[in-house]
Amino acid sequence: MAFVHRHKGLVPYLLLLPGLGFLALFFVVPAYYLAHTSLQTGSLDAGYAFTWAWENYTDAISTYHEQLTRSLVYAGIATAIALAVSYPLAYWIAFRGGRWKTLFLLIVIAPFFVTYLIRTLAWQNILSDNGPVVEVLRAIGVLDDGERLLATSTAVVAGITYNFLPFMALPLYASLEQIDERLIEAAEDLYASRLQAFLRVTLPLSLPGVVAGTLLTFIPAAGDFVNAELLGTPREAMIGNVIQSKFLVITDYGQAAALSFVLMAAILALVLAYTRALGADRLAEAR
Amino acid sequence: MTSYAATPARVRSLPRAWAFVRRHLLTVYAALALLYLMLPIGVVVLFSFNDPVGRFNYTWEGFTLDHWLNPFGVPGIQESITTSLEIAALASLTATTLGTLIALALVRYAFRGRGATNIFIFLPMTTPEVVLGASLLTLFLNLGVSTGFWTIFIAHVMFNISFVVVTVRARIVGFDRHLEEAAMDLGANEWTTFWRVTLPLIAPGIVAGALIAFALSVDDFVITNFNAGATVTFPLYVWGAARIGVPPQVNVIGTAIFAVAVILMLANVLLQRRKEHA
Amino acid sequence: MSESFTRVELLRRGAATGLFLTIPTSLLAACGGDGIEGEGGTTAASTQVSRELKDQLTISNWPLYIDIDEDTKERPTLQQFTEETGVRVRYIEDVNDNDEWFGKNRAALAGGNAIDRDITVLTDWMAGRMVRLNYVQELDKSAIPNASNLVESLRSPSFDPSRDFSMPWQSGLTGIGYDVERAGEITSIGQLLDDPKLKGKVTFLSEMPDTMGLVMQLDGADPSTVDEAAFQKAIDRLQAGVDSGQIRQFTGNDYSGLLANGDVWACAAWSGDMVQLQLDNPNLRFVIPDEGGMIWTDNMLIPTGGDVFTASTFMNFVYDPAVAAQIAAYVNYICPVIGAKEEAAKIDAELAENPLIFPDDETLSKVKIFDAEAADNEDLKSKFQAVVGA
Repeated sequence: MAFVHRHKGLVPYLLLLPGLGFLALFFVVPAYYLAHTSLQTGSLDAGYAFTWAWENYTDAISTYHEQLTRSLVYAGIATAIALAVSYPLAYWIAFRGGRWKTLFLLIVIAPFFVTYLIRTLAWQNILSDNGPVVEVLRAIGVLDDGERLLATSTAVVAGITYNFLPFMALPLYASLEQIDERLIEAAEDLYASRLQAFLRVTLPLSLPGVVAGTLLTFIPAAGDFVNAELLGTPREAMIGNVIQSKFLVITDYGQAAALSFVLMAAILALVLAYTRALGADRLAEAR
Repeated sequence: MTSYAATPARVRSLPRAWAFVRRHLLTVYAALALLYLMLPIGVVVLFSFNDPVGRFNYTWEGFTLDHWLNPFGVPGIQESITTSLEIAALASLTATTLGTLIALALVRYAFRGRGATNIFIFLPMTTPEVVLGASLLTLFLNLGVSTGFWTIFIAHVMFNISFVVVTVRARIVGFDRHLEEAAMDLGANEWTTFWRVTLPLIAPGIVAGALIAFALSVDDFVITNFNAGATVTFPLYVWGAARIGVPPQVNVIGTAIFAVAVILMLANVLLQRRKEHA
Repeated sequence: MSESFTRVELLRRGAATGLFLTIPTSLLAACGGDGIEGEGGTTAASTQVSRELKDQLTISNWPLYIDIDEDTKERPTLQQFTEETGVRVRYIEDVNDNDEWFGKNRAALAGGNAIDRDITVLTDWMAGRMVRLNYVQELDKSAIPNASNLVESLRSPSFDPSRDFSMPWQSGLTGIGYDVERAGEITSIGQLLDDPKLKGKVTFLSEMPDTMGLVMQLDGADPSTVDEAAFQKAIDRLQAGVDSGQIRQFTGNDYSGLLANGDVWACAAWSGDMVQLQLDNPNLRFVIPDEGGMIWTDNMLIPTGGDVFTASTFMNFVYDPAVAAQIAAYVNYICPVIGAKEEAAKIDAELAENPLIFPDDETLSKVKIFDAEAADNEDLKSKFQAVVGA
């Protein structure tokens, strides 16, 4: 303790040391090894060696650009749907939830407590060709007789949306909940229309939640492979499927690592473009 | 909509009717959204009581409590659950300790590199799981480390730290430092103040962080799959079982995990509330 | 059927072979050993391999690949092994796919480390890879006198000519599984690939040799000596099936659930699986396609770190014809043990006559073994993987 007293400035660093040390060892160092691996070539029999194999990147992009694009598109659509579903929901809980707020919030995060695989398998059952959902959709003519839901892009996007929706709803709720309701009332008086009031006051104030929610949904969604695996066909394969199969099935570590970086780069580029478009400065103001 | 056909005298109340419809719409929409969130959970719970014919638990065949009375009645499921719980306990304990320390540093001290640390903490949460799992695997492959129980533990601590930091930090931010100052004025030293005042006040945050870490650990499939080696956790068991038809016992365990998590969450919330009201 | 049968069998077999098996295994080993690693003269200090049974044996196997009592969920064969040797068996069904199993365990194996398994069961070509990469240990043949019961045709595979590292667990056929009520009669892989009625209701296997073997034969090519052009042609046919939406998915054992709930009507399937599924649903059929099917063998191996003596003792145990018959009766795959057919006939004549379990020459003439080298060729594998979608 005496030491700590004499060097008070050290305390925060001492507190940080174990945790950040752990992350340095098992988050930063692995990133280095991933980069290192992405420039390796070799085979199981010959072994793997570092050869500055930049062709891993060019090959990966030229062979798998389709899966990459598909991942970003699916993730984008899923994020948009999740936003459309959760915004009104979060709004309703924040302003109309009353004393049951906590209960409703609990329902929003409830899917997290059912094992990811089990809930995705449940969707497999729900969307099955002879399942109730398909039968209803056939009866009302949305689906033709031969058409199906399971093993289609619709099922994959729906699965992703469901699995990551709480990531969207929670930050939205957090930012909406902070808004002073009197502010909205004042705005309604001022702008005369509720829509105007919403667009000019509520929406901008909830923007930080929108940004956080979209990022927290989009990023894991873009790297997901479980939904495409369980609810899709090879035509819906995403980049995550390729990365995991290259690593764990065909042990093509070089290209698999290269693809991981390509995915990260694509995500980073999109995220930067997105935050720039929304205006980072405006965000700061809204806060 | 019928209000459009209303008499002129009532036209003035139109905005209010509109508001009513709109409020209703929003409520209906929210109800539908909540239903959508609950639907697969309902299916999971329902089929834990199913009495399937043959080995596929796809269609409703009749109610039974058999699987609930005998949740480990399928070979392999018990060992996988035990493994998962062991890893989750160790990983959440470690991650909660490390994460709480970071959260304390970030909130209570102004120091060089605080902004950078804040951003750094955010990174693991915004990296796709498949990349996190893959990069850890390359580390283990290159260093010749066998994957198994301890590599899963490492992976789980790694992705949990950030979630703990965020959860605990949210709690400390809203906490009144005057209480600590008061304690110090009364003659308590820093150490006593921390144990007697600070820790009890931020405990609900720590508990929430630990619960989240535990839940994420028990649930994780993607990162675990990369680094599991021959170790089989519960999600890995489910992944394998899905090949031959998931037995109803999996639904039982899934439902039980869900129930326990919800109860703990509710308890934490209620406790917090009671303290705040007291 | 298997339930009542295994009980009867359990009692009967206990009487017939109990004597044989209660003789201490080391003694058996000394009698059966041909001197290569026999105990005569050598002391414990000079042998690398322990001659003592461990308390526990850990086995990795494919799902539904050993007899199980549906009521108690106990596994009779393993229980007997424990009763007779005192060795507890930790039996883990974690092999769902050869490649996936290898990919997950490679980090340890490549580092020369143990993987907490004494026996693991892998298909020919993957067993070959394990042997080639030196990830397995030599069997203690002196502990496996029953190895002489191995059927002639499996005694010297190209990857392990004198069976120094492997013993077959089961063989099996790859053909077409279908639901006759939904899909009608099916006789050819061509129907799976082209029949518009089956569009989106077809799956193939993610195991490359199975799927490619079937599709190559459709073009009259011989999958036992793979020719690159023929392989490419088959890949193109598959790709066309994927692109048009004819093929729904590539699966492991999971086609069984899809068939059972009607999401899939016809698929590339494994014989034993289909025999098991027929018990619940008589509409399900298995057929070897007109143009030809495939045959393969899954092999028991002792990965690095596994206990050689205990593992070898277990191999010896399952090569007892009566034990082998008991397993075959439940799993319904092809039993590689001489004498098992006679043992099986004693309890269930129908079982012994099932050509999918004890195949006759006619059945065997319709199936081919996939080219072992091609099965593990990286280029061919990545071509196939690209069709599968990843």
